[in-house]
Amino acid sequence: MTDTAAAHNLAPLREGYKYGFVSDIESESAPPGLNDDTIRFISAKKQEPQWLLDWRLQAFHQWQKMDSPHWAKLRIAPIDYQAATYYSAPKRQNTPKSLDEVDPELLKTYEKLGIPLNERAALAGVAVDAVFDSVSVATTFKKTLGELGIIFCSFGEAVREHPDLVRKYLGSVVPQGDNFFAALNSAVFSDGSFAYIPAGVRCPMELSTYFRINAAKSGQFERTLLVADKGAYVSYLEGCTAPQRDENQLHAAVVELVALEGAEIKYSTVQNWYPGDAEGKGGIYNFVTKRGACRGARAKISWTQVETGSAITWKYPSCILEGDDSVGEFYSVAITNNFQQADTGTKMIHLGRNTRSTIISKGISAGKGQNTYRGLVRIQPKAANARNYTQCDSLLIGDKCGAHTVPYIAARNPTARVEHEATTSKISDEQMFYCQQRGLSKEDALSLIVNGFCKEVLKELPMEFAVEAQKLLAVSLEGSVG
Amino acid sequence: MSALAEIQPYVEAFKARPNAAEPAWLKQRRESAMQRFAELGFPTRKQEAWRFTDLQPLQRAAFPPPSSVSRVAAADVAPWLYGAAAHRIVLVDGVFAPELSAIGALPKGVWLAATAETLRTRPELLDAVLRETDALGAQPFIALNAALFADGFVLALEPSVVLGGTVEIVHLGRAAKRSSQLRNLIALAAGSRATLIETYVGEGDYWTNAVGVIAVGAGAALRHVRLQNESATAIHLGHQRVELDRDARYENFTLSLGGRLARTDIHLKFDGEGAACGLFGATLLRGEQEGTIATVVDHAAPRCVTREYYKSVAADRAHGVFLGTIGVRPHAQKTDANQLSKNLLLGARAAIDAKPELEILADDVKCSHGATVGDLDETALFYLESRGIPAAEARRMLVEAFAAEVIERIEDDAAMRAHLGHHVARWLAGGVA
Repeated sequence: MTDTAAAHNLAPLREGYKYGFVSDIESESAPPGLNDDTIRFISAKKQEPQWLLDWRLQAFHQWQKMDSPHWAKLRIAPIDYQAATYYSAPKRQNTPKSLDEVDPELLKTYEKLGIPLNERAALAGVAVDAVFDSVSVATTFKKTLGELGIIFCSFGEAVREHPDLVRKYLGSVVPQGDNFFAALNSAVFSDGSFAYIPAGVRCPMELSTYFRINAAKSGQFERTLLVADKGAYVSYLEGCTAPQRDENQLHAAVVELVALEGAEIKYSTVQNWYPGDAEGKGGIYNFVTKRGACRGARAKISWTQVETGSAITWKYPSCILEGDDSVGEFYSVAITNNFQQADTGTKMIHLGRNTRSTIISKGISAGKGQNTYRGLVRIQPKAANARNYTQCDSLLIGDKCGAHTVPYIAARNPTARVEHEATTSKISDEQMFYCQQRGLSKEDALSLIVNGFCKEVLKELPMEFAVEAQKLLAVSLEGSVG
Repeated sequence: MSALAEIQPYVEAFKARPNAAEPAWLKQRRESAMQRFAELGFPTRKQEAWRFTDLQPLQRAAFPPPSSVSRVAAADVAPWLYGAAAHRIVLVDGVFAPELSAIGALPKGVWLAATAETLRTRPELLDAVLRETDALGAQPFIALNAALFADGFVLALEPSVVLGGTVEIVHLGRAAKRSSQLRNLIALAAGSRATLIETYVGEGDYWTNAVGVIAVGAGAALRHVRLQNESATAIHLGHQRVELDRDARYENFTLSLGGRLARTDIHLKFDGEGAACGLFGATLLRGEQEGTIATVVDHAAPRCVTREYYKSVAADRAHGVFLGTIGVRPHAQKTDANQLSKNLLLGARAAIDAKPELEILADDVKCSHGATVGDLDETALFYLESRGIPAAEARRMLVEAFAAEVIERIEDDAAMRAHLGHHVARWLAGGVA
């Protein structure tokens, strides 16, 4: 059998979804449905101040007037927003004071996920603000970070402890009415992470959060806000796994990054939500709005993402380059196998002088997966000497999948230079033959070639993620050849 | 103008059409096309295909078809003619002008005539052209054209006929606030060959709405040059629909220089294996001009090749747009497609929008695209200036070279390259800011 013919023979994922388990914790959920009262319920549950409730309601009223976007190359079954539950929290009698007080069921879940929540965390050098369903349970390394003046806590806690900071930056990058899913998130967001790095501080460890959907039918609406003050540096890791389920689960997160003068934020994601089974049943709907603003001169925001999960991914981590000499980067690997669909890319909005951006996107389609790169590079009239370089490569494995590239380039300044390149190809028979005649199995050969194809992106990942990501690529593509 | 008010003048122009001696089926097709136009209305920026096009020049006034024929002297046309043409058709305000045309002796198996004339004598040739309007139902300006067209040209070659001399079609726009609704057909049967240049020129603020339907048969080859040199206040919408059969060759070169608002659409479909197309062009824009090249290449058959290369220059406050889609259908294996858009942004208030798009549903393909936007190369400018060439002249030379690079893609036809180069030089004589 030739490799092309072999690629036609699609076996389902053999290893299956490693993280497919459901932990049994009594949820305290809002009744299904969405109206002003739901929002008041969420806000009251979280003991929020009046201004935040008003902000949520404002967002909700905008959302009611909006239609869900249909421009992406995605086939989405109609979503009944009134049938979903918008709040579910692990039941708590008292706020836990230490890990011993945390529900052991919950801790076991973390163990299965391999989250270094206790002493191992120190060895791994990772501070974890573990989000379970909607409420933060425990935060580690707070003390170490606290000594440097770094605030890293759940969003809810930030609202209580640092209301001025939250109020100043919330919605300043992604306004409430930015888009349909951002408006929904703004109305009903459950919890998330907040980090503030004071001026001149270099965060000594990678900040990390594990997101996880747990209760059935409860959408997860994360809200993340990171602020790096003048000259600060932070590297933030975000990783996702979710239990196996049949119903589609809605996930509409918002991430806002603010980098002030000379600050740098590095934001890395490995997204491995449940992608649905080999027949395309189930899987997470992942509609995420991620945007960073370089507010001062020489600020830098870098997005790196490895997207292997979710039935549907709709995600465009973007940079608004306001400050002169600011830099935006986007490195992405997106894999779609079986019936997965991904429409992902970035926007680089050049406003300041000498702003620079780099986009490297690698899309891999296998099975019946559909993978779209959609991007915008906009050079505004004042962005003198702006530079952009974009490279989008697509790899096709099998003849039932699709790879699409939809870049928009809008140049409004003659001193700007914009370059875009894209290629689409398959893994050549020669490459596979070479690897196999050196004794590699078909699957190992594929994994090797795919990892090489993605190397430019994977090397941007912090060490902790790079290893996991390489394994993920191999697992995600299992069954696509052979 | 409201949506209804925009449409109204055309609906009325349709009603007021002289009761021409046309067959019943054609009248019926015109009726349904008009109905479709009325339903669709003008496109808006909310439609993806039109989001970069500013249709205001077309919406601010009405452009019904002319009610009388403009008188044009041969001397008015002379400066635009292609010296090496063997057969010539001239249309004024969208209507055949026999006194300016010189069709000459045609070899056996070649039909070259005006559309209205063809309708009278060879209606079967036009059947397919008019049927196309149904297939393109979502395009309001094609529907309007189908309803209102008066004339155009038809070039039809029988199998294996090779037309040696170049065919020239000149479209001249003269009537202010009037539209030329042109319906053109090129049909090359299996194994035939032809070269054609279409020139669009004129004076004043008229609208040219040209729809060309092109079918290239198995193993046939067509070179199709379009010189869009409309008046600086005119509107030009040129839509080409091309279908290529097995092993066919189609080459389109569009030099776009004129028009306040000018848009060239090419929809090309590979219907048979092993065919190839080359889509090339240069667009030069200044003042407040807006120029768009929009191509859709549909690889519906295996082993076809696309080579696409467009360049544009935007000076002053001009706006250049490139929209290019290459689609590969699931069974179109061994597709080899390449697309490149290079843009020079010369004016501080000029703008370029580019959207090169790939939509790939087959795996054994080689597809790539690229797009660049930038200013003239500073090193090259410095080099020329250091040789004593004044800055303005150096810029002019570099822009000329930029355009010449793509004109050189027209192989084995020095006369055609020189003709197009001459028009680029004429445009450049106006100065490059």
